[in-house]
Amino acid sequence: MNPFDLKSALLAKHAQHVVLIHFPIALFIAGVAFDFLAQGTKRRALAAVAYYNVLGAAWTVIPVLATGILAWQLQLEGQKLKGILLLHLLFGCASAILIWLVFYLHIHLTKRGQENSFPAFRLALETVAVLVIALTGHLGGFLSGVNGPN
Amino acid sequence: MRRSVRIANTAVIALIFFGGGAVKQSSFAARAQQKTASAAEVKIDNFSFGPAAITVPVGTTVTWTNRDDIPHTVVSTDKVFKSKVLDTDEKFSYTFDKPGEYPYFCSIHPKMTGKVVVTN
Repeated sequence: MNPFDLKSALLAKHAQHVVLIHFPIALFIAGVAFDFLAQGTKRRALAAVAYYNVLGAAWTVIPVLATGILAWQLQLEGQKLKGILLLHLLFGCASAILIWLVFYLHIHLTKRGQENSFPAFRLALETVAVLVIALTGHLGGFLSGVNGPN
Repeated sequence: MRRSVRIANTAVIALIFFGGGAVKQSSFAARAQQKTASAAEVKIDNFSFGPAAITVPVGTTVTWTNRDDIPHTVVSTDKVFKSKVLDTDEKFSYTFDKPGEYPYFCSIHPKMTGKVVVTN
């Protein structure tokens, strides 16, 4: 398969989800890292960087959810999931909800002009979100055969 | 007279004993032959089908067993057969009634491919 053949790349079986997933993971983890830095240094520029990273993560997680659910419905014909596949779906949904919750907090506080007065639980929530995302990614990597010879 | 009857009896017993054994033996052989001709196994392990290609006669039932730690499926490229998601140690069987080539893949890992060639 030619990697620059757009048609083959777009119509590749089940490839979109495993490609797109990298965007929200990277953006969210970067956003959380900048948010911790902003909290420690009290620099508004870092808080702004954190906000835009979380914003990117919140929007890119939508096509990731859509392609994941499509892969389930089309490739597996919506079979009742169990085991690792079911865990991956549940943790994936939990990750998306947590990303949107963190994004909501950021947007809510930014609108009020309170970027420097974040509630303390926000960082705890972001940490939990990163852990759930990491677990989801680990299961996804296991399913896709990242550790195998595939 | 008595002697000839005894010989005849011995001959009949011998015929039943050895003849029966021979019949039994031939039926065992036939059954064994039938078994090898009508069943084949493909193991799914380490993200691959093993053997990746098998040739079987018409009427053979091929059984795929997932020996991998993660789920896989067995899906015919031509939509002839399709398994559910197979967890570790789960099996899927399909009987091939028509000769031809049957390429298949795992729908979770499309790079995993195999082929069943069915001959007359």
